[in-house]
Amino acid sequence: MSGAKILLVDDEKIFTRNMAKLLSNRGYQVKAVNSGDEAIRALEGAAFDVLVLDLKMPGMDGLTTLQEIKKLGLFTETLILTGHGSIDTALEAMKLGAYDYLTKPCEISELVEKIKGASEQEDAGNPLSGPAVL
Amino acid sequence: MAPKNHTRTNAADAEPGNNLRAYYKRLFRRFVTLTIVCSLLPLLVVGWVINIHYTRFARERMISAFHNEVDHHRRIIELFLKEQSAKLQLIARTHALSDLISQPDLSRIFDLMNLEDWSITDLGVIGSDGSHLAYVGPYDLIDKNYSQTLWFQKVMENNLYISDMFMGFRKEPHFIIAVTGSRNGDKWILRATVDTEAFRSLVENVQIGKTGEVYLLNEEGVYQTASRFGGKIMEKADFPPTDIHEGIHTKIVEPQKQGNQDTPRQVVGLAWLEEPRWLLVVKQDFSEAFNDVNHANWAMLLFLHVSAASILLVSILISRHMISVIKKRDVEAESLNRQLTQASKLASIGQLSAGVAHEINNPLAIILTERQLLLDAHEAEPNLPEEFRDQLLDSLNQIDIQIQRCKRITTNLLRFSRRTESVIETVDLNRFVKEVVELMEREAQASGIKFFMNLDEKLPPLMSDPSQLQQVFLNLLTNAIDAHDGKSYGSVTITTSVNGEGPSEAPGIWLTIADTGCGISPENLDRIFDPFFTTKPVGRGTGLGLSICFSIVRRLGGEIFVESKPHRGTEFRIFIPQRPPAELLQQMNDAPKLRPRT
Repeated sequence: MSGAKILLVDDEKIFTRNMAKLLSNRGYQVKAVNSGDEAIRALEGAAFDVLVLDLKMPGMDGLTTLQEIKKLGLFTETLILTGHGSIDTALEAMKLGAYDYLTKPCEISELVEKIKGASEQEDAGNPLSGPAVL
Repeated sequence: MAPKNHTRTNAADAEPGNNLRAYYKRLFRRFVTLTIVCSLLPLLVVGWVINIHYTRFARERMISAFHNEVDHHRRIIELFLKEQSAKLQLIARTHALSDLISQPDLSRIFDLMNLEDWSITDLGVIGSDGSHLAYVGPYDLIDKNYSQTLWFQKVMENNLYISDMFMGFRKEPHFIIAVTGSRNGDKWILRATVDTEAFRSLVENVQIGKTGEVYLLNEEGVYQTASRFGGKIMEKADFPPTDIHEGIHTKIVEPQKQGNQDTPRQVVGLAWLEEPRWLLVVKQDFSEAFNDVNHANWAMLLFLHVSAASILLVSILISRHMISVIKKRDVEAESLNRQLTQASKLASIGQLSAGVAHEINNPLAIILTERQLLLDAHEAEPNLPEEFRDQLLDSLNQIDIQIQRCKRITTNLLRFSRRTESVIETVDLNRFVKEVVELMEREAQASGIKFFMNLDEKLPPLMSDPSQLQQVFLNLLTNAIDAHDGKSYGSVTITTSVNGEGPSEAPGIWLTIADTGCGISPENLDRIFDPFFTTKPVGRGTGLGLSICFSIVRRLGGEIFVESKPHRGTEFRIFIPQRPPAELLQQMNDAPKLRPRT
């Protein structure tokens, strides 16, 4: 699906800036934030189709952010980005309902593929998503 | 688990082997010495002390018995002499001289005296002038006068006299007992000659064993009876008549030269008779007298030493057995220690690598996005000069290649740190080997290396992780090919077999990869499983291949062994259990099922 709204969360500002540009080059509407708190605020402010979430962040890490989001009923299909050193945590995130995970560094084409999958899942209505599950 | 070294070479054993051998020898000696000190020595000391005490006790008992024997013998002789003297005194006191000088009466008395035992040869009555008044006996002595003889003077003086042996008128050895009688102050003498044979048999025929002898000496040391092994009657004895003059003395006489004859060690008993002053000598060879004691002694000592010898033998055998048990335990402990060290080394390095990999992956991700941005920009600008475009694409391509290279390194690091997930499936190892070898053969074609497969067709299917096994197999095959660097030919032999004697009791499969390459030097052999240890040139190897193999094999519940001879080749033997270990399955259950990744 083209034009999906994506929330990109990563503490590396250059990474989010670049990635946002690359994704918007490919027709996505991207909002990039650099912490878990900002991500929650963004989700509260607007609806997104896919959340791309880095796991290792200072302050609130990816896993806690995901838990918070679920708690607040703001669940969005989530793609986990990990430096591969934290596969265990990635698996933990998937237990919490994340759609899939990607290891850094990843090709943009790979990310786009996964975003497509996730947004299709979002359209189909993931039984795990939404506050109803909680 | 059977003791196995992870690394083993001929050269590597040499130095510590010698030290160890010396150590075990020392230990063995210490065990044996300890046994000797704790059991043999006390046994011997106690044995010898008991033996010495027993010998002393037995000897005292024997000497005391010998002493009693001598005493008994002396009493018999004294009793005999006293009996004969008493008989004569009785006759002299109860008979009138007139009765005694009557030949028929004297004959009757003579017969009566010999009624029970033939002990008197003749009987005579002698007047105070020394001439015979009457005589009964076989000799013609009736007209002999004794007034000048010693015995005549002695008996007139003492009223009783027992003579020493003498020849006298009859010219043969005999002795007499004489008593006096008197009538109206007129003294006469009743004299009896003791039958020499009867007396000698009384004294000499007392047999004491095979070597015993009994004889009498007078105060001058003249034989009064014959000795069994030497002196005849009336001969002068070599034996000194001793400086002891009463009582019984028993002593042990050491071997000595007597004339041209050696006398053995003897037990000698000496006893002086009261009257006459004769010395009773009883002799027996020491060896015979103490035969029983000596036998008991020898038996005891023999038993003691046989016991000591068997204790020594048993202690040597036990010590040897203990040493072999200790050796085995040491080898096991050593092997376990090495594995533990290796595992802990890998664990700590794994943790570090995971952190490093993660930190590198982040900047790599940024570089990748930058490259992608440049690519995007290039695509959006179709009017770039040709030369610039080529250079840009070339550089971007190179950046991608280098990023992929870095990614490979970080992926390896992470794989090594075990942060990858396992998928357990049924694996047909033989088919698996064939597939991988086929893949590698193409790569190795140019190098002239041949692959040989020696696969056991009866291999059971494995439950294991094929992707991780593939990783191990690829790493080992790559190393095997690289080991032939510089050689234009060589071979790699892959063998599979069912676990005959595996490192554990679990059933499993052995996979052996043997190459004919350059081998691994003994000093490197201990380090090959260490992370980042490599002998390949910079840029060609990360030094993680074998570490990854080690950790994967261990994770799958297997073992990996290596043997290598420099310039001859290296052989890796891998044991893979038929079923994965329980811990691995537990870990997998804890993780959620993964969706297939694209």
